Amino acid sequence: MTFDRARITEQLGQAASWEAKNRLLVQIARELPALDDADRDDAHRVHGCESGVWMSLDWRDDRLTLRLDSDSRVVRGLLVLVLAAFHGRSADDILSVDFAGWLAQLGLARFLTSSRANGLKAIVDRVRDAASRHLADRPARYC
Amino acid sequence: MSPPVPLSPAFDVAALREQFPLLCAQPALVYLDNAATTHKPRAVLDAERRFYETSNANVHRSVHRLAHAATDAFENARSTIARFLNAHDAREIVFTRGTTEAINLVAQSWGRSQLHAGDEIILTMLEHHANIVPWQMLAAERGLTLRVVELQPDGSLDLAQFRQLMGSRTRLLAVTALSNAIGTRPPLREMIDTAHRHGARVLVDAAQAMAHDIIDVQDLDADFLVFSGHKVFGPTGIGALWARGDLLAGMPPWQGGGEMIERVSFSGTTYQAPPYRFEAGTPPMAQAVGLAAALDWLGALDRPALAAYEDMLRATLEHGLAALPGVRVVGTAPGKGPLVSAAFEQAHPFDVAQFLDARDIAVRVGTHCAQPLMETLQLPGTLRISLCAYNTVTEVEALLSALADTLEWLQ
Repeated sequence: MTFDRARITEQLGQAASWEAKNRLLVQIARELPALDDADRDDAHRVHGCESGVWMSLDWRDDRLTLRLDSDSRVVRGLLVLVLAAFHGRSADDILSVDFAGWLAQLGLARFLTSSRANGLKAIVDRVRDAASRHLADRPARYC
Repeated sequence: MSPPVPLSPAFDVAALREQFPLLCAQPALVYLDNAATTHKPRAVLDAERRFYETSNANVHRSVHRLAHAATDAFENARSTIARFLNAHDAREIVFTRGTTEAINLVAQSWGRSQLHAGDEIILTMLEHHANIVPWQMLAAERGLTLRVVELQPDGSLDLAQFRQLMGSRTRLLAVTALSNAIGTRPPLREMIDTAHRHGARVLVDAAQAMAHDIIDVQDLDADFLVFSGHKVFGPTGIGALWARGDLLAGMPPWQGGGEMIERVSFSGTTYQAPPYRFEAGTPPMAQAVGLAAALDWLGALDRPALAAYEDMLRATLEHGLAALPGVRVVGTAPGKGPLVSAAFEQAHPFDVAQFLDARDIAVRVGTHCAQPLMETLQLPGTLRISLCAYNTVTEVEALLSALADTLEWLQ
């Protein structure tokens, strides 16, 4: 599962209006595989969202495996952006990503400021916290 | 079913809209989120500005001329609110930050001094979190039991079940005058009569009703009534508790500080009489003056004509929604307020609201701070369209048209 950041950037950059960007997010959402019902439970739920959002993350070979789903199609489109930015990357890489900057470049900064409604900021904060914890937990290799 | 009859000539909405600077400055905006907060007429903005420009000083303290002017403005605002609610006496009005603080005041002062382990409080399934959580906190502290009036399928309250809940241990009924989530207006007078026959007190949450209904506390015969300024064309940060004078007189203070004391010494402090006993610290003076201006402004309108106009808007909206495939109106209680919650077969309300926002149509989506209600209705949330005096048939039609497009696209 890979998502092409360059293509997403180009597509959303070309969508001129807010409505066009929202339509594109709904289209992009089709690329996101749905989580199993078993993973759409309270334990995986991200609270503080006006739509249901579920998230699971784990590390394989020091790379983040991120799985996300929502019952809102616009939010699913946003979750594709989160995956494109963070999925499959190392903790160091994750901490260096300027997600807010990318969203601003795409003309979608409003989704981060209204994040209590869509939960995007809560998700990105959780990914970052997980990356920080992963770095702290990892045995030191250079001594 | 024929569409509702357009507005009565008694109500001139174009002239009314001109009094709202934000609506004039943003003519393309279709603002249908009035249950969250209303916009402010020029009269309110002018009143706040005038207070700062002519009367700004701290109230109830200094002897200088300006302090007298500030105190007069503040106390006149209290009298205006008392008059608007037809309270017996201005001293029955306590200024608060809003509805939430007013309910917490009653819970912490009246509740902690009057309620004991085993006592019962009755709430309804329609309540906003602000009329649930303060009672839960009190119940946990005092060993009280909360009981909940359930809904009928149309969103009205199950009054037979309500009467069964009433018992010898019932001490309080806390009930909304107008549901912020689905628009139901409970039969307050009937419920208040029932509660009083059982010796219980009644708190009415009028946060949503204030902008739409004529509230007369003597006629209602409630014991406490609370509201927020910002939902009734007034400023944020101000609201009020009305409480019957004899109840207020017996209630202890709940916050300590300046303004609320009669005499302070390290061996003991005596408190002011109500309402000052409940107003610790410097109050929101300009906001109180702004709130009074809002109520004066609203009170000067033809209220029955306004109510008929708002109901015509609601009926037009519900009529239009009924014609859209896959749309269901949640809450169809007779006599409901000008607030419509909708659920969609094919689309998530959040997605619908996103597309409406792209056309500068402002609505609210989610659980509307009424999660127990949404769980009962088995809905993840709804799209809420809340109307008020300055909305128009043209705006309702713009919403319906955008909604039709959006739902087609989101199929």
